[in-house]
Amino acid sequence: MNMYSYELKAYRSFTLIWTAALVALAAFMLSMFPTFTHDAESFKSLLRSMPESVLHAVGIQIESITSLLGFYSYTFMYVTLCGAIQAMTLGVSIISREWRDKTADFLLTKPVARSSILTAKLLAACTLLVLTNLIYLCAASTLALLVSAASFDLTVLLLVSVTLFFVQIIFFSLGMLLAVLAPKIRAVLSISLGVVFGFFLIGILGASTGADKLRILTPFKYYDAAYIVRHAGYEVSYLWMGLVVAVTSIIVSYIVFMRRDVDLV
Amino acid sequence: MSVSVIELNQLTKAYGSARGISNLSFTVEQGEIFGFIGPNGAGKSTTIRTLLGLIKPTSGSAAIFGKDTVQHGTEIRKEIGYLPSEVFYYDHMKVKDLLNYSASFYKKDCRSRIKELADSMNLDLNKRINDLSLGNKKKVGIIQGLLHEPKLIILDEPTSGLDPLMQQTFFELLEQENKKGATILFSSHILSEVQRLCDRVAIIKEGKLVKLEKMSVLKADSYKRIKLETTAPIPLHYFQLSGVHELEVKGSMIQFLYKGNLNVITAKLAAIEINNLWLEEPDLEEIFMHYYEREG
Repeated sequence: MNMYSYELKAYRSFTLIWTAALVALAAFMLSMFPTFTHDAESFKSLLRSMPESVLHAVGIQIESITSLLGFYSYTFMYVTLCGAIQAMTLGVSIISREWRDKTADFLLTKPVARSSILTAKLLAACTLLVLTNLIYLCAASTLALLVSAASFDLTVLLLVSVTLFFVQIIFFSLGMLLAVLAPKIRAVLSISLGVVFGFFLIGILGASTGADKLRILTPFKYYDAAYIVRHAGYEVSYLWMGLVVAVTSIIVSYIVFMRRDVDLV
Repeated sequence: MSVSVIELNQLTKAYGSARGISNLSFTVEQGEIFGFIGPNGAGKSTTIRTLLGLIKPTSGSAAIFGKDTVQHGTEIRKEIGYLPSEVFYYDHMKVKDLLNYSASFYKKDCRSRIKELADSMNLDLNKRINDLSLGNKKKVGIIQGLLHEPKLIILDEPTSGLDPLMQQTFFELLEQENKKGATILFSSHILSEVQRLCDRVAIIKEGKLVKLEKMSVLKADSYKRIKLETTAPIPLHYFQLSGVHELEVKGSMIQFLYKGNLNVITAKLAAIEINNLWLEEPDLEEIFMHYYEREG
């Protein structure tokens, strides 16, 4: 419990700043929605003049882009990108900080099992990510209601938005695994940015070439917003896929962390 | 009744190259202040980190309070206080908060103890860790290691960064803890500090135990350092007799190490005109060098 509250406190401002960034990003995107719908037809014809592969790559679907849910789905891609960076950074940092600041000796010579240390960190991070998502969900639905003239299905908007949490959990667990495997990481943000953009590019590449197989490689494509909007539900196989990736990363993290030798820093 | 607090049994930690320890066996008894000495890189820290469960032994085992360090690490660490040579803490925290955080891992109320220790070392509890000097950080380390009144205190090169006065206070603290029943494992390459505090010492070199001895025996079984200044130059061969080592003559200054019948050497000294004479107990450093040369 002491470690849990310590970690919560240590990452409080980090989480607040990132949450604010996510909300600001959503607000910025949604604020453009009225302009787009105002002249829907000419906007659509502009889009039609663009090469199809480009539209695919950036995830624009012309038929739905002028509806609130379609527009939100498109902009949401960038929110998840931002959220993934937050989660990955958190995952890497919460572990590697003990090595970076050389406090591993302090913590690991206390009468606590290594598994309890990792559990405390994991729970603290999950709490912070849940908090981020609760704030984001409230903000996003309020903003959507504000900018939309026509009515839309709020449940679907929430269904889409909740995938931010799924993506964050996956990237958090990947970050944690990475930090456990290579605890001396110093450039936390650069590493996180690199990995997250790597996955994001795989997603874009997959979408533009229509190579469906690439989809499995990138958590960004596990929860297809367009599919969720059409079916008001998730693709079950990819829900499982995400869960498997996260759980596997976490289990491997535990195994490695409990066995690792903590050498002199 | 003597109970082993630490028991090393063929403890081995192999790293790829020369580093590490091999087949280290010795015991530290209840209530002892045990010196663990050797030059840098001899394996002192490796041994200590294995005892603390930070690294896992390649083979062999170690037990603390009769419990295996790998299987019962969490339980054992409740009664261990550890002070590393370099201390690192969460920089943004206040000293007070760091110490309270540290105390929260032990199911004890340590508040008055923290206050008491901080007072005895003149440490301001309201400062931030990253505003502290090296010496003050070290004090935080000392308090952090002692605040839960551990039964076993493990010190890995503890005096670096402490000024001589503070070192004095620190040693007094250790002696107090020892009187209250704490066993102390004190690793060092500065031999004079071991000399003062310890009952027994283990000397290790390149990961192997070279010598395990009572401090009193170690000191008795040793040389005297004799240095003298004569009025007139003395021929070199005058002091060339059995028991004399490292004879050095520089004009009228003569010095050497002597081991043997003291009457023989005093008779020799009485026969010449002397301006000045120093007779010194050799410090452990010299004993130590001697062991290293002989065993190595």
